Amino acid sequence: MSKVVVTGMGVVSAIGIGVPANLQRLRAAQSGIRLPEHVGTRYAEHMMMGEVEASDADLFAQLNLADTHGITRTELLAFMAFREAVAQAGLTDTQISASDTALISATTVGGMVQAQALYDDAHAISNATEFAASYRSGAHTLRLAQGYRMRGYTDTINTACSSSANAIMIGARLLKAGRARRVIVGGTDSLSKYTVNGFNALQILSDVPTRPFSADRKGLSLGEGAAYLVLEREDDLSERKALACVSGYANRCDAYHPSSMSPEAIGVIGAMTGALQVAGLAPSDIDHVNTHGTGTQNNDYTELFGLEQVLGTVPPFFSTKSYTGHTLAAAGAVEAVFSILSILHGEVWPSLHFTSPIEGLHHSPNTQMLAGLDIRHVMSNSFGFGGNCSSVIYSKL
Amino acid sequence: MEENALKAELKQHIIKYLNLLEMKPEDIADDEPLFGPNIGLDSIDALELTVLLEREYGIKITDPAEGRKVLVDVNTMAAYILAQQASA
Amino acid sequence: MYIHATACISPQPTFNGDFFSTGAVINSGTHYMALEPDYMGSIPLGQVRRMGRSVRMATGAAMPLLQQFQVDGIILGTTDGGMGDCHRFLDQIMEYAEGTLTPTNFVQGAPGAPAGGLALMTRNSGYNNTHSNKGLSFENALIDAQLLLHEGVVRQLLVGCVEEISDAQFNIERVAGYVKESAGPAADLLGSRTPGTVNGEGAAMFILNAEPTGAYARVKDVATYSGDSMADLSLLIKEFITRNGLETTDVDVLLSGLNGDVRTDGLYEAGSQAMPDASVIPYKTLFGESPSASGFACWYAAQAIAGHRAPIGPITPAWPDPLRHVLVHNHFQGHQHGLILLSSVA
Repeated sequence: MSKVVVTGMGVVSAIGIGVPANLQRLRAAQSGIRLPEHVGTRYAEHMMMGEVEASDADLFAQLNLADTHGITRTELLAFMAFREAVAQAGLTDTQISASDTALISATTVGGMVQAQALYDDAHAISNATEFAASYRSGAHTLRLAQGYRMRGYTDTINTACSSSANAIMIGARLLKAGRARRVIVGGTDSLSKYTVNGFNALQILSDVPTRPFSADRKGLSLGEGAAYLVLEREDDLSERKALACVSGYANRCDAYHPSSMSPEAIGVIGAMTGALQVAGLAPSDIDHVNTHGTGTQNNDYTELFGLEQVLGTVPPFFSTKSYTGHTLAAAGAVEAVFSILSILHGEVWPSLHFTSPIEGLHHSPNTQMLAGLDIRHVMSNSFGFGGNCSSVIYSKL
Repeated sequence: MEENALKAELKQHIIKYLNLLEMKPEDIADDEPLFGPNIGLDSIDALELTVLLEREYGIKITDPAEGRKVLVDVNTMAAYILAQQASA
Repeated sequence: MYIHATACISPQPTFNGDFFSTGAVINSGTHYMALEPDYMGSIPLGQVRRMGRSVRMATGAAMPLLQQFQVDGIILGTTDGGMGDCHRFLDQIMEYAEGTLTPTNFVQGAPGAPAGGLALMTRNSGYNNTHSNKGLSFENALIDAQLLLHEGVVRQLLVGCVEEISDAQFNIERVAGYVKESAGPAADLLGSRTPGTVNGEGAAMFILNAEPTGAYARVKDVATYSGDSMADLSLLIKEFITRNGLETTDVDVLLSGLNGDVRTDGLYEAGSQAMPDASVIPYKTLFGESPSASGFACWYAAQAIAGHRAPIGPITPAWPDPLRHVLVHNHFQGHQHGLILLSSVA
């Protein structure tokens, strides 16, 4: 069966707009977590987040969209990343709007980023605001599809923090089943009053930049961003070259608690083991792990415990959330881009803000700038609320 | 407020905040562990209880360790509230 | 892909089966609320207490199925599920000026909460996914299931949909012009000739596997279309029928998502023009409009194919016999069209 390959990628995050900008900051080991300027929340005064360094006005100006009515920041980020991905893949307008081109996207906040408009419409304060049709998760997907005149299959996943990883998996499966010729997969989320307050109410936000896998980690730093990958079958490619392949994936449920994971790491272990099985790889084949690594007590312990159970000796691993913050639904796709960059350039970058190792476990994240490596297989993990555990393996072609 | 009246009020609040359907204040003994098998609260409920303390009694618990000592049963919660009110 | 069991909580007495004995309820007004069963007994009390309405309805419908059938995964479609809780959380944010807030509404407001909750309650560590794609959410869930079954990585799945009417979401729909200002009885809905429709809610759940023996009905194929071109739609419908080895005359019933919105009901003629011999049976007079309305249509079709028919009434016309193939054509707000082809197993 033909491999599922990645022919284009686009990303926008706190460490840059575009793949080259993001790579540069990774190589410079420079975190994008700082006091935000554009998100309307009182927590912006003291809580550091991974904000994209652009206002909505900046993004509008860069995009030059025909119809700007009711467009939210979540959509603006999506358009930025989508545009880059399809350009790199060399897709023509005709190909994008072909009926066998599918779009699988993901978001958690969607248009709810417009908190005041949402409140006003929900209370029917007056006439509908311009955002009345923009709030739902699926609205941004429809907007992307309409903007690019896409006629093919669309889907939107919302499983919280594992959403875009699940989107990527579905894209791969659609291609393998011959139900699409190419699939654009990914996700988007913007910083919002809604999510800041939600995570604050759960008391899992860190008041310092997140310290993934550190003994004294205090929680997560929120982030925002968007990323899209163009997936195609290798056999369909003729001349164009692909970047990497999606060789394995699995989705399992931890089934323990709505917002924390089991001590036995059932879902984590199940997802990683499942991904290895689909890829036909042994644990020792994994050269690098791009962890979920949110910096919460629960996630980092459970994830590392799970990694040790499944992989034994864990290869160099890190958390890119120490650079970008937790980009929620976009995380799986943003981290897919970083995983593929790792493969393409043979590099593993340092996990930032690491202090000291977690007691009771046996590994620490990579804190060195590693280059000149042969990175054949990268495992990327994304775990969401509701016990949703997803693991995807990207491999060198 | 007088201690017994406070405990009765606290039970009403707990039932309301946590939406403990079919439970009445008299079903909650003063020393019944809130996180034990009978009432069966979990970590999210613990967060709800800290909000209850702030909204109803103006008391903020910021240290999780302190929270674990206070949120044991109605007795410990009432004692904490009274102590905070006395020192205010 | 075969339907082996179903459960449905809806504005009709579909959960306890009265729909097939005493018949349909003729709802009135702009929102058809679900007839919820008494959950005491089927859902642990400790769980019910913090559940938002959509989590409750999804759980109420799915739990009996999950207690009877082992599944390797749970896949739901929902767009407005959890909206009530989302808005309660937003209201808290505004009321308390971002102060100390209770987290339950935030957690329960996530669209993934019903599927996650079901896995939690049944300790199901298999595949778990939630599609939240406005009017295609249920079709997306079905296709997700089809892909998994086709790969042979799962044997049996729970697939379903859930939607809830919340004051907040209802207001948003109303100010955006998607709900009628007022509406009379359901029997008059389709002749209303005014813009907007009426909302419905509930949960429809299915146990699916690849085994024909003992199934209610077969889900033969699922397709989607985004757009509002009649020409494209007609072509799609004809191709959909043909690629399944059928003639348009083989489709006995066109289960049509007509919802009384004068602006977009015309698009349903694509189906009736392609299949002039099929009986057109509407379902939104029973279930109301919601982003996952096709899930309720699927329930209605599967039951009819298995021989369960509601007494004939103003909004429950007769189904033809034999019932070989049923095509569900649903669209949401004119732009997102779903086609589901259901067939008898015999």
